[in-house]
Amino acid sequence: MKKLLTVALALLLASTLFAAGSQETASTAAPKEITLDWWTWDPSMVDQNNAIIAKFEAANPGVKITQTMVGTKEYWTKIRIQANQNKLPDVYTMSSGYVEEWAKAGLMYNLDNFVKNDDTFNVFYKSIFDVVKGISGTDSYYAIPFALVTTALYYNKDAFDAAGVAYPTNDWTWDDFRSAAKKLTIDKNNDGKIDQWGFWFYGRYAHIEPWVYANNGKLIDRTTMRFAPNQQAIDALKMLTNLVLVDKVAPPQKDMTSFQQQDVFQQGAAAMWVDGSWFVDTLRKNVGDSMRWGIVRVPSGPSGSNEMTYGWPDSYAIAPNTKNPEMAWKFARYVAGEGLGLDVYMAGKIPSAKKLAEDPMFSDPNQQPGADMNMLIAQASGPMTTSFTQGWGEWRGYGGGETLGLNGAIDAITNGQLTFDAAIKKATDSANAVLARYYK
Amino acid sequence: MADITYKWHKSYTPWLFIFPTVLGLTVFRLIPIAWSFYLSFTDWNLLAKPTFIQLGNYKELLASEDFITILLNTLQFSVVYVIGSIVLGLALAVLINTKIKGISAFRAAIYLPVVTSAVAVGIVWNWILGPTYGIVNNLIEAIGITPPYWLGDPKLVLNTVASVQVWKMSGYYMIIFLAGLQNIPAETLESARVDGANHRQSFFGITLPMLSPTVFFVLTIAIIDSFKNFELIYSMTKGGPGNSSNTLVYDVYLNAFVYYRVGFASAIAYVLLIVVGLLTVANFYIRKHHTQPLD
Repeated sequence: MKKLLTVALALLLASTLFAAGSQETASTAAPKEITLDWWTWDPSMVDQNNAIIAKFEAANPGVKITQTMVGTKEYWTKIRIQANQNKLPDVYTMSSGYVEEWAKAGLMYNLDNFVKNDDTFNVFYKSIFDVVKGISGTDSYYAIPFALVTTALYYNKDAFDAAGVAYPTNDWTWDDFRSAAKKLTIDKNNDGKIDQWGFWFYGRYAHIEPWVYANNGKLIDRTTMRFAPNQQAIDALKMLTNLVLVDKVAPPQKDMTSFQQQDVFQQGAAAMWVDGSWFVDTLRKNVGDSMRWGIVRVPSGPSGSNEMTYGWPDSYAIAPNTKNPEMAWKFARYVAGEGLGLDVYMAGKIPSAKKLAEDPMFSDPNQQPGADMNMLIAQASGPMTTSFTQGWGEWRGYGGGETLGLNGAIDAITNGQLTFDAAIKKATDSANAVLARYYK
Repeated sequence: MADITYKWHKSYTPWLFIFPTVLGLTVFRLIPIAWSFYLSFTDWNLLAKPTFIQLGNYKELLASEDFITILLNTLQFSVVYVIGSIVLGLALAVLINTKIKGISAFRAAIYLPVVTSAVAVGIVWNWILGPTYGIVNNLIEAIGITPPYWLGDPKLVLNTVASVQVWKMSGYYMIIFLAGLQNIPAETLESARVDGANHRQSFFGITLPMLSPTVFFVLTIAIIDSFKNFELIYSMTKGGPGNSSNTLVYDVYLNAFVYYRVGFASAIAYVLLIVVGLLTVANFYIRKHHTQPLD
């Protein structure tokens, strides 16, 4: 009898608990939770990204964002494997260098309907969206640009002042530039060695191509999809290599092998340098107030105008098989700038979101290079070009292969290892062998 | 005495013990090796499915002048590395095969580069060998000689990187040589000394011949190690200038993880496998037929 009572009591207790649990579940039933995976490649942005996620999740109850930060060097290998396994993250960072390949391979969600039905171009610059569309080689929008990156001539104001040379302006010509570079090339201690070069470059894309486009040059014939530099491009390459070989205002690449390339300017070993606009952020962080510096447009060549900008967007793409395309689009718009402030934005990149680009603090007068930053905004609204193709990294000579391709050929000229004509022929042959694999 | 039998021992018991190793070996080594052999006959960019192209990758390799350069670079690197490692490793072992106070500290110091990250070694040597501010070139200049471009001259760069690899790894071979040296009976060397042999004669007449099994062991592993040069090349030269310091392993990396030509990279990897395999077989053949262990 006692045993029977115990069992009955236990059953009663269990059923009460069950009923209480059911009631609890029913009363707090929340909308279905949505989880989005977000992959990015810049480890320096982890904290900013976490802040963005917290803000987005607070504004969108039931949505959870999982951030995966992959180092820049491993990003493309890892995300390619994800793509191969049909496991692309809902939202992921996309480079202009791969937009064409990925769009044509069907690895990005076609955003045309979202772009059309949303107030997209009230929030973002259509021109920057159109640049991504152009690079994709399709008639559709496959990525949401969060920034346009371009190139600029960085100059050391302290070095200019010390040499008594007027600062560069946005309407500088190549002659103005070379004249200043000569005055800024200085052997400070008269030991026969140059202590401060007027300029520094090597075969890197961001060092070379702005000059090509500022002279109305073209590297790629878009009708045949072959490497075919026109005369204006050849003239630009000749002018640059002559800075080393004839004018002797820039060092050969082999003289700088112990430097990280971006350190040459920062350490005062060169008074001028052309590279990506994102180095504004690097200089602010690394140089601080220990050096005064500014930025201007890359000088115009005799056959062209520096109105033509070498610029390309960094974007977010959405997985074609995402389970939550609407929310992925909403989040991608948010992180592309709609939900951001300049405090979480990398300086030097030009926002595609109008509210960020038009924020007066984009050209923060209290931070270098101050009002010079307006030049970047002006560039973003002008004509733009790039040399991106499929196989670009290989024929251009990029990353781990930067000693090869066009990059290696230009270095071979300045290092005195090949003549100009031989190097250009070698670069042409190797580039076209690569392009022939992608464009039959 | 009868064989001991255990109640728990079954016919499958040994298989259970080796199962984790066999599984690991199969999943992480054998299957990838077989799979990459298949991939070497395909065109694969990691995104789409591999496309079978028969011998296309191998034909492209053999028709490529760059590939011949890279193959020759690999062999040159190997020769410099193997000779350098054996000579320096042996010299260091002879030097520290002594019982003086604090010898352990010297041994540890010489061994330290072996366990140092190759990328860190590459970055530091890049500074040391820097053309303008590097300490080596400044010292050379101080004695009135125009210094070379250690990493910028296509004729020098490969030997420079191989030498840094020798510097990094010779401590490892030193330890092996040291073990070999300490196995040589002291009385043999002593009797040679009593018979009037000087240091040079006893080294070349006794020490070296008695070390020959060790030398061949070191030769075998140094040859295999000589092809593992990716990290230093990546951190010091990225294969440049041009292709001057590009080797097969670096080219595998470039094609697989920079250009995403995984099939082509697999073909290069198989060429590397053939080269290493042939050298190892030759080494074993010589060891078997042309040496007589003195121990």
